[in-house]
Parts: sequence; C-alpha cells; structure tokens
Amino acid sequence: MINIKKDISIETLVVSLLVSVMTIMLISLFLNFNEVSSSIGTEILLINEASTGTANAVTSVVTYFRGFDTLGEVTILFLSIFGISLGLEGYKDKLNIFAYENQLLKTAVDTLFPLIILFGFYVIIHGHLSPGGGFQGGVIIASAFLLMFLAKNDDFALNHKIMGLIEALSGASFILIGLLGLLIVNRFFDNFLPLGTLGNLFSGGVIPLIYIFVGLKVSAEITALVEYFVRIKDVE
Amino acid sequence: MLSSFNQTPFLHDVITVGSLILLTIGLVGALTKKNLFKIFLSLAIAEASLFIYFIGMHFEVGKVAPIVTQEVEKFSLNMVDPVPQAMILTTIVIAIAVLSLALSFVINYFKLTNNMRINEMNELGEGK
Repeated sequence: MINIKKDISIETLVVSLLVSVMTIMLISLFLNFNEVSSSIGTEILLINEASTGTANAVTSVVTYFRGFDTLGEVTILFLSIFGISLGLEGYKDKLNIFAYENQLLKTAVDTLFPLIILFGFYVIIHGHLSPGGGFQGGVIIASAFLLMFLAKNDDFALNHKIMGLIEALSGASFILIGLLGLLIVNRFFDNFLPLGTLGNLFSGGVIPLIYIFVGLKVSAEITALVEYFVRIKDVE
Repeated sequence: MLSSFNQTPFLHDVITVGSLILLTIGLVGALTKKNLFKIFLSLAIAEASLFIYFIGMHFEVGKVAPIVTQEVEKFSLNMVDPVPQAMILTTIVIAIAVLSLALSFVINYFKLTNNMRINEMNELGEGK
C-alpha cells in the first residue's frame, strides 16, 4: 500500500518542484523560443529539395546534414548493448522468464510475426517519404521478436551467428557509404547517387540506403537487447 | 470559443506546465522510491518531459510537419523546424541505450546481492 504522507515528505516535493521549475526556465532561457525569421531549420527547409531530394526533411537532417551525428548515435547504442552483453553473460544457459503457456498467443503469433516484420521493413524503407525511418522500424521489428519470446518462451531462440553478421555487415556498410561519399564527392555521407524525383520510392540518393542499414543494425541490436533481458532465469 | 485555446502562446503555456508536472513526477519518484528499478524508470519519465517540452515548444499553430505529401506539395516556410525533431530522435535513442545499460547493472546487482532496495545497501561498509 502506498502511504503518501510517509513516503513523500514535503521537502522532497518542494525540492523536486524547484528543480523542475529551474530546469524548464533554464532551457527556455537558453533556447529562446521566439519566432525568428531565419534559423538553421528554415535554411534546411529551403535547400532540402535541391540538395537531398527526400520528401521528409527530418530524415534528411538525421542522415544527411547530421549523418556524422547519427554514426555516433549508432555507436553509442552498440556500446551500450556491448556493455550489457558483458554484464549479463551466460544467457545461453538461462531460461526465459515468460514461462507460461498461452495457446491463444501461440496461435496468433504465427500470423502476427510476419506481418509485424513486414510493417517494420515498410517503415524503414519508406523513411525518406513518410514519418518513420531506421530507428522506428528497427524497434518495430524488435517488438515482433519480443512477441515471439512472450509466446514461445523456451522453444524460440535466436541464431546469434546470423544476428551478429547482420549487425556487423550493416554497420560496416553504413560507414562504407560515408567513405564512398568522402572519396567521390569530397564530403563524409555526401550523395554520390542520382537524386531522382521527389516522392518516389527510388529517390533521395544515398539516404534510403543509409536508413536501411541503420534500420537493420538497430533491429539486430534491440532484438539482442530483448533477448538479454528476457533470458535471465537460472536453471534449477 | 475553442479558437481562443488554439493559439500558439496558450499551447506553449500548456506544454510548459505539463512538462513541468511530468518532470516533478519523475524527480519525486527518483527521490522517494527505494527500489533501484523504479528509480531508473522515474528518471526515464523525467527525461520524457524534456522531450515533450523541446518538441512542443517548436510547434506553431498553422504549420505542418516537414514532409511533402499529396496535400503539401513543396517545402516552404509554412513547416515546423525539422532540426529539433531530428535532435530529439537522437536523444531518445541515447536515452534508451543509457536506460538499458542501467537496468542491466540493476539486474547484475540483484544477482550478486539479492537486494534491490537502496536503504539496505551496505557494500561500502558505511554501517546503518
């Protein structure tokens, strides 16, 4: 039972309220949310169609204008999964914590699993045309694997060779595209492919390729993360 | 009458107050809960308030998402700024990475000591 008077003292409440007020005020002072006539965002909106040819400006910011930053982001995710795998080692001998039998889920997952995977790939491939992209689609694919772990508990295991291969190859291809841009057009992650027409599936030069590799890498990493957290029960 | 609520300054005030409340909830949880797991989840809630604040304050009434569709045929200044959304996308991924690493530390700590309550931790020998 929650005893509010005992658990939350008035000092805690006052301190957290003060800290939140100070944080929000500090951010609003730093960022200065006034409407300005020209900023980086408006510049990017004006040059986006000519320089990237993608229909989604957020995607072009993530993969083209800040592509190097996305490389760092993927590296941070990889390092985090690496640290988790060092800590939770020996997961192959452990059991799934979802050790219950649910026939309804078991039957439904056979239909749902391919559909969720398909939807995840759809979100990844259409990242330059619609909301979504590599990170979102990768997490959707990982959610399909989480559903498999829930439904089939110990009968379902990942093939770690294939997962590691997908992750390594997609990460290497991501950097390779950046290096090709550096060699051909003289800028890391620059376009060396034709731009195509705005709104087509085959448009945007290297941006769909980058997002596909990011999506594959993120899906492999989050799926491995889900397995590390699901398989922690000791064998009795 | 409803149109007076659909104004940019009013919506910005709502987002400010809402994210303030969410940040306070997260901080109160992080300060009062004794379970390590709940502390990290409270910090995740506090982070979410900042995401909402950052995205919401760059919203303006009458502007559309920075995506060309069949209705919006070309890029113009009648779109919201795409840079904050891209930055928050980066931040969310990093937040997930840090949170999952922290939760794996919690699991390892629980395996080693069979304890997850911070008022019963005594590994550094500080006594009661």
